[in-house]
Amino acid sequence: MSSETPLDLLKLNLDERVYVKLRGARELTGTLQAFDSHCNIVLSDATETIYELVDGELKSRTKDSEMIFVRGDTVTLVTTPAE
Amino acid sequence: MSFFGFDPTKPDSGRGSGRRQRDKKAEKPLDFEETYQGFGEHDQEEDDYLNDETFGNATELGTDFDFGYGKGSLESDVAPKSYADHGRSYASAAVAGPPSGQTGYGAAAVQGLDDGLDFKPMESLWTNQPMSMPMPQQFQQPQLPQHPQHPQQVLSMEQLERQQRQQQQQMGIPAQQQGFVGMPPQQDMKPMGYGYSPQGYMPQIHQMQGGGFPNQPQSFPPQAVPPQNMGTHQYQPMPLMFNRQMEPHQHPQQQVASPPSNQQQHLPVQQQLPQQSIPIGLSPQAQELGPQQQQQQSQQGSNFPVQMDSTRNSASPRSQALSPPHTPRDSNSRNGRRGSMRRQQEPLTEEEHKRLQIRQAKVDKILRHSGVMTPRDKDFITRYQLSQIVTDDPYNEDFYFQVYKIIQRGGVVGESNKGLIARAYLEHSGHRLGGRYKRADVALQRMQSQVEKAVTVAKERPQKNKENFDGAKEGVLGKISSTMNSKAPRRQLQIPTQKSEDDESNAAAIDEVVESLNGVELSSASKARRRSSYAFRTMDQSAVLCRSGGRKFVLSLIESVYSEVLELEAQLRSGKSIDNKALWDALHVADDSYEVSPFISILSFDKGVKIMPRILNFLDKAQKLRLLTLFFSELSHLNIIVTSSYKTNPHPTDVQLKKIELFQSVFLKIIVSFLSSSAEFLEVISLLLALIKDNNVSFISTSKIGLNLITVLISRAALIKQDINRGTVLSSSEISTWNEIYDKLFTALETRLALVFPPEEYTNRVVAISSSPSLLSANGEQTAKNHYYDHSYIWQFFASLALSGKLNHQRVIIDEIRDEIFGTISKAEELAKSTTVDEQVALYQRDKMYQDLNLFLNVMGLVARDGEITELK
Repeated sequence: MSSETPLDLLKLNLDERVYVKLRGARELTGTLQAFDSHCNIVLSDATETIYELVDGELKSRTKDSEMIFVRGDTVTLVTTPAE
Repeated sequence: MSFFGFDPTKPDSGRGSGRRQRDKKAEKPLDFEETYQGFGEHDQEEDDYLNDETFGNATELGTDFDFGYGKGSLESDVAPKSYADHGRSYASAAVAGPPSGQTGYGAAAVQGLDDGLDFKPMESLWTNQPMSMPMPQQFQQPQLPQHPQHPQQVLSMEQLERQQRQQQQQMGIPAQQQGFVGMPPQQDMKPMGYGYSPQGYMPQIHQMQGGGFPNQPQSFPPQAVPPQNMGTHQYQPMPLMFNRQMEPHQHPQQQVASPPSNQQQHLPVQQQLPQQSIPIGLSPQAQELGPQQQQQQSQQGSNFPVQMDSTRNSASPRSQALSPPHTPRDSNSRNGRRGSMRRQQEPLTEEEHKRLQIRQAKVDKILRHSGVMTPRDKDFITRYQLSQIVTDDPYNEDFYFQVYKIIQRGGVVGESNKGLIARAYLEHSGHRLGGRYKRADVALQRMQSQVEKAVTVAKERPQKNKENFDGAKEGVLGKISSTMNSKAPRRQLQIPTQKSEDDESNAAAIDEVVESLNGVELSSASKARRRSSYAFRTMDQSAVLCRSGGRKFVLSLIESVYSEVLELEAQLRSGKSIDNKALWDALHVADDSYEVSPFISILSFDKGVKIMPRILNFLDKAQKLRLLTLFFSELSHLNIIVTSSYKTNPHPTDVQLKKIELFQSVFLKIIVSFLSSSAEFLEVISLLLALIKDNNVSFISTSKIGLNLITVLISRAALIKQDINRGTVLSSSEISTWNEIYDKLFTALETRLALVFPPEEYTNRVVAISSSPSLLSANGEQTAKNHYYDHSYIWQFFASLALSGKLNHQRVIIDEIRDEIFGTISKAEELAKSTTVDEQVALYQRDKMYQDLNLFLNVMGLVARDGEITELK
């Protein structure tokens, strides 16, 4: 099987843990359940990390979701998570 | 010779003159009229007196056509009143009985006035023959006061109708029911007392009665028309019409006023205009009546006042409107009519009235566009809409619905797909009650047959698409959602590849050749390396993956395996013969070109593990055996073994524990079922041999999965041995082979048996992770068990090892794990004494510990109970 489109690469990572970087200083790590051509993504067992600048100090908090839908227009990057 | 008029004999003038000519032309503006050489000249078509007709000049601007119920009336401020009027006529119709048909007509006439319907467009559109206007009576009424000198003649049409009705009544057919004979169901809905629509159907009724052709188009009146009339009168009315365009209101008046003999004249024209309604039906009847008609007309003329009196109470607005004694004001002004209506309202109570109003509003709504389509039309549209949602291949094109259906029905796939779609469609469109007759079953049957047809349409669709036939109709009958139909499921992004298919296959072929060349080289070189790699695997999974082609390669393998399995499953469903060669190739079981078989790496991924049961469905026994042999011989490379061993992975994570659980529940099950169902003794032994020969057994035994696998193999072998001992005796060579292999296994494990037990640190950690209320393992059922590490798999292993071993083997085992045995007993006793934990849990745990331990001890005829080991009695 040869990969012809960028999203074919994403297809290979179905049911695998992926790291998704989002707009608005957010990132997600979860198991890739589904995606489409708009890069809409469904992740399970996902952890979202939100970075914020509070008084000039970088802070982050996390949110866990059992299943989460990510709209494609916020996705900037998808890769395998650094273990 | 000279072309274009210039003289070639003159020297040096050829080009110049041509240019000069062109220049000359350019100087004066082009006159296109000239270019037509007079052909463009023609007389103004002033003689075509139908031009106004044709181009609609005679029609007032802004007049809207209204083919259904008068929309204007519904939206106008008069609406409530007209409902009330209907209510009245409706109710009084019910009270009045037989004359209600007339009442209905009268109401219709009133309605027509109230609505302020514009009839001119109809007039100019359909005919130049005012007789064929859909609602001649409605025209008459405003005219009445203006032409009091013609009351008798004006009434002739109604009288004709009445005569017919009387005739029909004499024939035993109630006037009210005429409309229902042989009519399609949706047309049945129309009460005669209702304003608009009956008129459209009345002619049909009449014609049916007269000619006996129920659904025949109007263009064939049953009556034969005298041929001489045809010739003469066909065009006569037209100039008449043209002349009177300016006063259309007089038109019907004049025509209607014409004596019955005149009606014959109209017939030929009507024949040519199939859409014409009432009078067509009427006129043959009228003709049929012949001379009697005249008599009856005159009779009716004399009867009329009497009839008026009798019908006044029974609410016949029409008779009021038609009656000569009425003053112009009374019949023309709305007030007068309303006043007369109010009188009729008296017997109704408030509540009844309200209910009638509501009912009328409902009926209105139903009737508004009722009858616009025939049942066939409706069927066609239903079919067309359905054809967008049904498919011949539901499992491929409609997969999620199929799954949903199975979930909904609890796994029972009783009802056919088509039946379900029919039901869903009916429910969605609100027709599940079955309409007027509440025949839901009939409606469902109908819809099912529709779905059936729709499937046929769907089947034909591809061919039609080629001719772009279907495309032309696309969206004609409503917007078709681009994402929701089976025809255009949402697709992945498709980027057109510039390579032609030939290029691709060539490239693939080259790749293949290169790969196979590399493979030869690799396999010979790598095998030695692989077999010697007894050392502990590192946790670096990517290292293993690299040696089997890389992560991406393995992932793409999994994808192709999935697609192959799906393909095979589709073949299985459709009953085709199954060819699993592609699947077998995709598994790369026989592929020696990599240091670690790609198949082993496939099992590194959860999705690779999950697909395994479905893969094995399509493999024959030899293939399964080969696959499992490979699996056991490369067990050390298996990622899950590395993960589940406390030595290589002393700090398992939540995710890893999950993985181990998954592997155990999926793959171990496959192996057990294969071994217990179809494997023979020698095959079990060969698998065990593969495991011992190519792997570090001691390392494998430190992992839970590995230990489980070994346990499965040796316990199965022992079982088969016992089984066969009862029946046919194993050949001595088989037994000796088994003993040999067992010795090998035991030797590999000897002195390291105690290492099977994971250290307390490890077990505590696993317990901590799996019992913590984490996101990833939120299973309520595990609460009690997961407070302690489950050692049962270890005792099962020792039990099966001891079962197959001889006495000296058992002695060695006990020697090596004595500490663990007594440790377990003392722990169990401690639990019983301790008060820190919940007593129930402690007792359960204690029993569990003894139970597990006794699995092993019982094999040797011992039993541990209450802190002591005794002989099993």
